[in-house]
Amino acid sequence: MNIPKQPLNQRIFKYSLTSLIVVSAIWSASGLEITLDRILNAPAQIATLVGAMFPLDLSSEAFDRIIPKVFESLFIAWAGTVIGAIFSFPISFLAANNITIGSVNRVIKQILNGIRAFPELILAFVFLPITGLGPLTGTLAVGIHSIGTLGKLSSEVIEGIDEGPLESIKASGGSKINELTFGVIPQVMPTITSYWLYRFEINLRASAVLGVVGAGGVGQELINQLRFRDFPRAGTVLICTIILVLTADTISAAIRNRIIKGKTVKS
Amino acid sequence: MINYPKKPNPSLLVLIGIPTGILFSIFSFLQIGFNFEDFKNNLSNRYLVTDPLFDPKWAWAWENSSEALVETIQIAILASIVGCAIALPLSFYASRATNLNKYSYFVYKSFLNLVRTIPDLFWAMIFTVAVGIGPFAGVLALLMFSLAIMGKLLSETIDSIDPGPMEAAKATGASHNQSVFTSALPQVLPNFTAYFLYIFELCIRASVILGLVGAGGVGRIIETQRIFLRFDRISPIIVLILVVVILIEQFSVWLRRKIL
Repeated sequence: MNIPKQPLNQRIFKYSLTSLIVVSAIWSASGLEITLDRILNAPAQIATLVGAMFPLDLSSEAFDRIIPKVFESLFIAWAGTVIGAIFSFPISFLAANNITIGSVNRVIKQILNGIRAFPELILAFVFLPITGLGPLTGTLAVGIHSIGTLGKLSSEVIEGIDEGPLESIKASGGSKINELTFGVIPQVMPTITSYWLYRFEINLRASAVLGVVGAGGVGQELINQLRFRDFPRAGTVLICTIILVLTADTISAAIRNRIIKGKTVKS
Repeated sequence: MINYPKKPNPSLLVLIGIPTGILFSIFSFLQIGFNFEDFKNNLSNRYLVTDPLFDPKWAWAWENSSEALVETIQIAILASIVGCAIALPLSFYASRATNLNKYSYFVYKSFLNLVRTIPDLFWAMIFTVAVGIGPFAGVLALLMFSLAIMGKLLSETIDSIDPGPMEAAKATGASHNQSVFTSALPQVLPNFTAYFLYIFELCIRASVILGLVGAGGVGRIIETQRIFLRFDRISPIIVLILVVVILIEQFSVWLRRKIL
């Protein structure tokens, strides 16, 4: 039987890629001094920690401390997303190459890239001395990072629109503003709204973490309980966070699905 | 007389969702407690941050952070490779197209969802307590992080594969496992490679902050300087990180173009 062979250069590329991956993994493992017995010990150590978390601390005193923090994370994530959405929306039109004039879009895109490059946590501790310990710092950090990511995603949506409606508006005598409000926005709004919700899901995880540097939210609570070796309470914090994230994810995913796919028509 | 089509009534989602969203936004902003007076007062402290931030101590940063920067990259490489390697078989179990058992599908799917809900830094905190402070905890944390993302992306890709080749393999007498191996796996391998590169980029970004909770990497240096508000030492480190991240991203974009 004649089975066609893979071309030689493809095979060379494949093998060199595989060896690159293997070599870099070995290099990393040896550089980090990860020995076999550390790996073998890890599962038992993790099991010990998880075992120490149960039974969870379900006292009302624990909940009185944890629940407000969990909701603070939710508010930070939502307010940050709102900041990101409000500011990124006009910016994304300027960043789309089929809307703006000249090379404005290149400049704006580079600015957005620059914003995106800083993780929320780094933004948070830079703002910390100015805005103080508390949720406001976290909100600003999450919001500014969201401007970068949402601006990029939205401008890419705007760049992908169908030009037909714009042309017909132009042909019927519409102005540039008419083109935007009746041609572009109705086309891009569903996708952009679903990106906002998607960003909210990501921000929720980010805002949970921000407490590590004191920028509000549930992260502060978790790191404190772990430092004081109060594992049952740390377990409660973790479970509360998981419940919050799962609930928010489910609701947001359902709304996104509805926005993108439209109403399910019952016959 | 022109017959204009009637505008459809707004749906329930719009009627309820938009007011709820606006109310919730207002409520959130109130909860966060934006106080303009405090903000104005604190703004006069900004010299504490901005002056040192724009007065970077390059020599210090280069001397002290280059080793930790390499450690950061090593954490990201190892975690993304191992995490994605573990996620590859898992996502076949977590897809309805390749796992015929309804119950084990549900178990794997929920496991991946559960792992995904815990943020990366929470994993890092848990593992630093469990296995001790150092890069090993960071590797484990990012491993869970990349496992979760890869599991979600890949299992959804497997859900949407073309069932034709699998059927053809079964028609020639292959068992279910054989048909998965010969027909489903090759279909998703290009996606797997693309996702892997994407996750590697995410891991590089995430590994920078791991050190804030003691899980190794360049974040360790940032954390010690942050406590003393030495922003003049932090800002050059951040710039160094940015350069490294951008270089690695360019490399990964180039590689992706080459593969796909």
